[in-house]
Amino acid sequence: MIDKISLIAVYPEIILFAMTCLIALFDLGVKTTLRGATYALTMMTLAVVAILEAMYASGGQTTYAFGNMVVSDSMGNWLKCFATVAVMVTLVYGRPYAGQRDMLRGGELFTLSLFALLGMFVMISGNNFLVIYMGLELLTLSSYALVALRRDHVVATEAAIKYFVLGALASGFLLYGMSMLYGATGSLDITSVFKAIATGHVTHQVLVFGVVFIVAGLAFKLGVVPFHMWIPDVYQGAPTAVTLMIGGAPKLAAFGMTMRLLVEGMLPLAIDWQQMLMVLAIGSLLLGNLAAVMQTNVKRMLAFSTISQMGFVLLGLIAGVVNGNTLSAANAYSSSMFYVITYVLTTLASFGVILLLSREGFESEEIADFAGLNQRSPLYAGIMAVSMFSLAGIPPLAGFYAKLAVLQALVASGNPAYLYLAVFAVMMSLIGAFYYLRVIKVMYFDAPITASNVVAGADVRVVLCLNGALIIVLGLLPAGLMALCAQAVLQMLGT
Amino acid sequence: MGLLSLSIWTPIAFGIVLLALGRDDQAKTVRWVALIGALVSLLVTLPLYGQFNNQSAAMQFVENAPWIERFNINYHLGLDGISFWFVLLTAFINVIVVIAGWEVITSRVNQYMGAFLILSGLMIGVFCALDGMLFYVFFEATLIPMYLIIGIWGGPNKIYAAFKFFLYTLAGSLLLLVALIYLYTQSGGSFDLAVWYSLPLSSNVQTFIFFAFFAAFAVKVPMWPVHTWLPDVHVEAPTGGSAVLAAIMLKLGAYGFLRFSLPIAPDAAHEWAHFMIGLSLVAVVYVGLVAMVQQDMKKLVAYSSVAHMGFVTLGFFIFNDLGVSGGIVQMIAHGFVSGAMFLSIGVLYDRVHSRAIADYGGVVNTMPKFAAFALLFSMANCGLPGTAGFVGEWMVILGAVKFNFWIGFTAASALIFGAAYTLWMFKRVYLGAIGNDHVRDLTDINAREFLMMALLAAAVLYMGIYPKPFTDVMDASVAQLLKQIAVSKLPL
Amino acid sequence: MSQTLSASTLVWVPLAPLIGSVLAGVLGTKFGGNRIGRAGSHSLTILGVLVAFVLSVMTLLSVVQDGARFNETLYTWMTVGGLKMEVGFLIDGLTAMMMCVVTFVSLMVHLYTIGYMHEDEGYNRFFAYISLFTFSMLMLVMSNNLLQLFFGWEAVGLVSYLLIGFWFNKPTAIFANMKAFLVNRVGDFGFILGIGLIVAFAGTLNYAEVFSKSEELAKLSFPGTDWMLLSVTCICLFIGAMGKSAQFPLHVWLPDSMEGPTPISALIHAATMVTAGIFMVARMSPLFELSDTALNFIMVIGAITALFMGFLGIIQNDIKRVVAYSTLSQLGYMTVALGASAYSVAVFHLMTHAFFKALLFLGAGSVIMGCHHNQDIRWMGGLRKYMPITWITSLLGSLALIGTPFFAGFYSKDSIIEAVAESHLPGAGFASFAVLAGVFVTAFYSFRMYFLVFHGKERFDQNPDAHHGHDDHHGHHDEHHPHESPWVVWVPLVLLAIPSVFIGYMTIEPMLYGEFFKGAIFIDAEKHAAMEEMAHAFHGPVAMAMHALTSAPLWLALSGVALSYYMYMVNPALPAAFKRGVSPIYTLLENKYYMDWINENILARAARGLGAGLWKGGDQMLIDGALVNGSWKLVGWFASGVRKLQTGYLYHYALVMILGIFVLMTYFVWLK
Repeated sequence: MIDKISLIAVYPEIILFAMTCLIALFDLGVKTTLRGATYALTMMTLAVVAILEAMYASGGQTTYAFGNMVVSDSMGNWLKCFATVAVMVTLVYGRPYAGQRDMLRGGELFTLSLFALLGMFVMISGNNFLVIYMGLELLTLSSYALVALRRDHVVATEAAIKYFVLGALASGFLLYGMSMLYGATGSLDITSVFKAIATGHVTHQVLVFGVVFIVAGLAFKLGVVPFHMWIPDVYQGAPTAVTLMIGGAPKLAAFGMTMRLLVEGMLPLAIDWQQMLMVLAIGSLLLGNLAAVMQTNVKRMLAFSTISQMGFVLLGLIAGVVNGNTLSAANAYSSSMFYVITYVLTTLASFGVILLLSREGFESEEIADFAGLNQRSPLYAGIMAVSMFSLAGIPPLAGFYAKLAVLQALVASGNPAYLYLAVFAVMMSLIGAFYYLRVIKVMYFDAPITASNVVAGADVRVVLCLNGALIIVLGLLPAGLMALCAQAVLQMLGT
Repeated sequence: MGLLSLSIWTPIAFGIVLLALGRDDQAKTVRWVALIGALVSLLVTLPLYGQFNNQSAAMQFVENAPWIERFNINYHLGLDGISFWFVLLTAFINVIVVIAGWEVITSRVNQYMGAFLILSGLMIGVFCALDGMLFYVFFEATLIPMYLIIGIWGGPNKIYAAFKFFLYTLAGSLLLLVALIYLYTQSGGSFDLAVWYSLPLSSNVQTFIFFAFFAAFAVKVPMWPVHTWLPDVHVEAPTGGSAVLAAIMLKLGAYGFLRFSLPIAPDAAHEWAHFMIGLSLVAVVYVGLVAMVQQDMKKLVAYSSVAHMGFVTLGFFIFNDLGVSGGIVQMIAHGFVSGAMFLSIGVLYDRVHSRAIADYGGVVNTMPKFAAFALLFSMANCGLPGTAGFVGEWMVILGAVKFNFWIGFTAASALIFGAAYTLWMFKRVYLGAIGNDHVRDLTDINAREFLMMALLAAAVLYMGIYPKPFTDVMDASVAQLLKQIAVSKLPL
Repeated sequence: MSQTLSASTLVWVPLAPLIGSVLAGVLGTKFGGNRIGRAGSHSLTILGVLVAFVLSVMTLLSVVQDGARFNETLYTWMTVGGLKMEVGFLIDGLTAMMMCVVTFVSLMVHLYTIGYMHEDEGYNRFFAYISLFTFSMLMLVMSNNLLQLFFGWEAVGLVSYLLIGFWFNKPTAIFANMKAFLVNRVGDFGFILGIGLIVAFAGTLNYAEVFSKSEELAKLSFPGTDWMLLSVTCICLFIGAMGKSAQFPLHVWLPDSMEGPTPISALIHAATMVTAGIFMVARMSPLFELSDTALNFIMVIGAITALFMGFLGIIQNDIKRVVAYSTLSQLGYMTVALGASAYSVAVFHLMTHAFFKALLFLGAGSVIMGCHHNQDIRWMGGLRKYMPITWITSLLGSLALIGTPFFAGFYSKDSIIEAVAESHLPGAGFASFAVLAGVFVTAFYSFRMYFLVFHGKERFDQNPDAHHGHDDHHGHHDEHHPHESPWVVWVPLVLLAIPSVFIGYMTIEPMLYGEFFKGAIFIDAEKHAAMEEMAHAFHGPVAMAMHALTSAPLWLALSGVALSYYMYMVNPALPAAFKRGVSPIYTLLENKYYMDWINENILARAARGLGAGLWKGGDQMLIDGALVNGSWKLVGWFASGVRKLQTGYLYHYALVMILGIFVLMTYFVWLK
């Protein structure tokens, strides 16, 4: 029978699920082109969920529910909270865009997004291989559908196919890896897997075998080299609103899943997976930045930039365990967490501006489309500039402290190899600075092509301004969020 | 709120207000707000002069508040004799720049003025920061407004210049970042400069740190051979941009050497002193020669800046009081003089829209008032006694001779080169019969330009005739610094 | 110290001209929108200089009569570490004498200028400049430390720059002034190094303190060598003097400086500024006295200048250039005297020379005005009946210059010749030959000019370019006949002629053999006995003049005059023949020993070439091209390569993923 604590632990998920089904039904009755009612209801739901998660997170106790199937701890809850907010923002930015491209004939955009979010929740709070896998599938399946939402749109459908096939392959890897570990440890429960490995009686080779496949699966979700190939095509091909849906919140989920599987599940194997992640990180930093330099399409450019940014996240993860001792673990993992959160925040802002600029029958995808934005609308140009500088890691903006934290984690590890890695990373971000600057250059230095000034709905304008402001505020006062991440990760490691 | 915070945030606040003020149809109000902002920002720095204690080498007006607890980063400000004048200088130049851009800038005036006010606040922050990370944040943040200033209001080849400026300098400062983080871990989790000063470091580590700092600061100064961004940027930047760049921004690098390289890695500094001196002398001679053959006024002055900054770094690395204070004095003087030089070029450019020396000749015939100022500034630029330009060069040369005659010998050659390129330009631009119709149609400087020139002229002459106030302020701190770097930091 | 001298009064000596200059410069010129007009400008400046002159005379009197001395700091310029840098005055015989000479000549020139420049639109500016010069020169001579000396040193250089280029529309003028400044900078280069060495080893800039340390300094040797430190120091200082006082090979700027208006040629480039170097060495005598190497160097340089610059005077046709070259050679004489450690004699000649050379220049100026700005002596002649006053005064000046007994020049020049003869330095032999030969040469070219200008046929109507001579900014006249200049021009001539004749006779005794320079000039009597021995031989000025009748110099001078009379009055065909006869020598002289050619075509061109090479090759190609943009191109190249990996084919992507797995497997599972 199901005990009360378990139910409390998953209230948000339950509400989310229930409301999603309700909205799906309710939407059948909505006739307006922009589906205002559905939108409102979705927003309300998400707001409630977000608040709940925030309360849980700040409550800060860890509860295992349903016989250790799921865990609700403050790291997970914060990630879920932020993911929810990210989805809300995505929908705010995306709705007008979707409306102009008759993606709102049905309410799928909302329902699928909600299902995707539910999937993320499960991924984040799963404490069991199978649960996590289920969450992952729920997320990815809804994502495929979202990408294909414009079914008469050739590029989008092609992207969907690619995403689907490769995604399936990746899930296969993950599942295979999990089964390996199950075979080796005889359990799917993360905690017991951890214990089993910790005993050291398990044959190391088999474990590593499994780890390789799991890392591959995670790498696909995070989108790091060489499992990144889908990212550029899907980012570019998918309708921009959906791109944001894929590129925003899921990163948080992917991070959460990584923490569960690698850290909570296989910390004793850190030496192995850290080295794997290092290889992936180096690859991503190199390839992501170099490839981005050449792009003329903003979405594609941002796709490659994502790859390099995720490389930075991995850098944080590999600094956790230094020759056996886990003193610096909290420091390292929290730096990665901070990085992911700020990254999502910035991505939301930049895509928000892209969505804002694209009009009926005009995708504002080419960098050239931003020409002279500063003359047309200093405000939105400013927001875009802020997010670009933030991604480039220029102080005093959020992105800088993310890089600072990660580099600090690397250097603090005291491992000379990591010091060189840090130098390599900053050199790469120097290359990175170039393509972010190019966007700013186009917006500020070039003459505008169209004089048409930018129109935005009240909701979009307000959210976008807040979003931009938050990047600056986090740049001036990052202490709070940093502390939050540190405390969350500490607690997670504590258990 | 302490005086220093006030000095930093007043201009930034005004800058933000300006950005919010919006479009060009209110250009008039924007200009006045900018001017008021600049003046207020200058006024709030003046009490510093009254309350500063010359006798003490300690940090004054200290403010210290936790900023990012997780990394133990503090909002730690303070002022000593070394940094003191640069705060005032920055605020002063800021006023000049606002006046200079008054009616010259017509597009996006609010952003132009805003950028400069914010920039000045950030630069003051650099000079006041006593926390490594705070310093870095200000140091890097200055890139953003400058990048926009060059890119938006720059000349034909502004894009290249803007990128070159940003990436060139960023390349250097990223290594600085790694070094700062390294020091943070070495010092057991502190970004406090005072802690770093007393932190023993092995000689290899010091060398690594020294060169990481070098990468950042040498590019900013700029020292040969990483100076090549400066001419391109100066040529393309708007007049105000060039003025601020030459007057203040270059000083950030030189200041970094004093605040970071020397006291934190003294042994490495001593070990590599001759390397640094060598580069400085190359800057003086090589760049002096290069300046001589420039055809573009701004390029010429840019190269002369490199040569003058060569004196600064030379002064720092001969480790005697004459040299170090000479270097600092040279920094201040160069702030006035180079700023004035670029503004004078701007005055001509606004009228003729050419920077080519060949497009001028006989300007004195049509612009006698302006030519008088230009003569004064040119003379200051080639270090004539009685002008600011002389003081620093004089001190550094004396210090260098004291250190080693032949180093002094090479440095003193600047007397000849400096005079050669400056006067040759003066001859070709101002003297002689009227060169062409553009020159014939020139109108002499108006009241606004006269005011701007007169302010700078006053500063240049005052510093030349009575530099005592400047040196008195820095004497104690310099002595302290020299004591500090004389002590080895190698772990026993 | 004496109560008769006080800082509060002394400070007005330089300040009065400065105020005049600033007022005239700001209110009198276009800069301040000409508020006070010509009369205002010249009366203000003249007033300033007059005040300075009166005060200087008073100072001199108190110095001479009650042996007053003054050495105080006015204000501290700055202090660095232990080193004090100050501005202050040192008043003794040397200073007082210089002050009077400077202010007197300056006053004369101010007056003269009223007439000479009255047609020039830059009238007020000119007054501002010459007053500024007076200020700078006074700061230089009154200084009690090396900093202020250097300040004055450069300041007079600046004003000279401004005045040579006074007619800034004249290409030759603005070339000449830049040249002058740069050549002087070469001198200052040495000068500042000398000061640097003094600061480094004496740790002070104050004369008195430095001299008090001179004994210890003498013991030191130059780091890394066994040279005597003081030799290096003194030679460095003297290089500065070579620049200012136009000694070979840094003399090249002085002849070109004649592009400036004549009054300043008299004031700056004959009487005062160019003698600053001589003054400086005399002032530094306690140091120079300790280094025979330096003294010898000085003597040889001086000798070369004295003789070879004289030769150049012979073939000049521009009246001002003739005088300019004679100035060069006279400066050479002074330098030789310094080398012979007869500092007082050098300064004595400096003074007499200041008067008669200023006289000659102003006379030349007057002639130029009379001839409607023709400066070419070939187109003059017979002027004596048109310009009697100019004629007489110039004659007196020339007589003084060639050293006619009882004239001022005689006493100073003969003393120099004697002093050199008495010197025992290695270079003395050559030097004494040079100065003796110099006497003949001087007499020859001086009277060549004199005869060509004031005697013989009237040739001024044959001038091919009568109307556009050098100074044609002055506008034109209709009548061709020369005319005497207005009183403001000839009064100064007369006032200068008086000392040119008598000053030597009156002052030789106190200045050379008396107490006048006591405490100011130091001579190591054991090592350099020249002055002592001369003192024994000296029995009053009259006796000296009488004795001259039986000594070589006078006869050399006379033969010089006689020869020039024969060549230019009796047998005018001879010069041409002579010219043809020794054409190689003539061309050598014509080209001023090719010094300018070397400077412009070798040194300057080399510098520019090097600069261009470093710029294009070093900065643009190597650093920017190869390193900066090169590395960026490299990134771009890689990037375009990497981009190709993203083919867009699904099976490629899948393959890459599987390869990725495979690689990770091989490495982590099997290889490890």
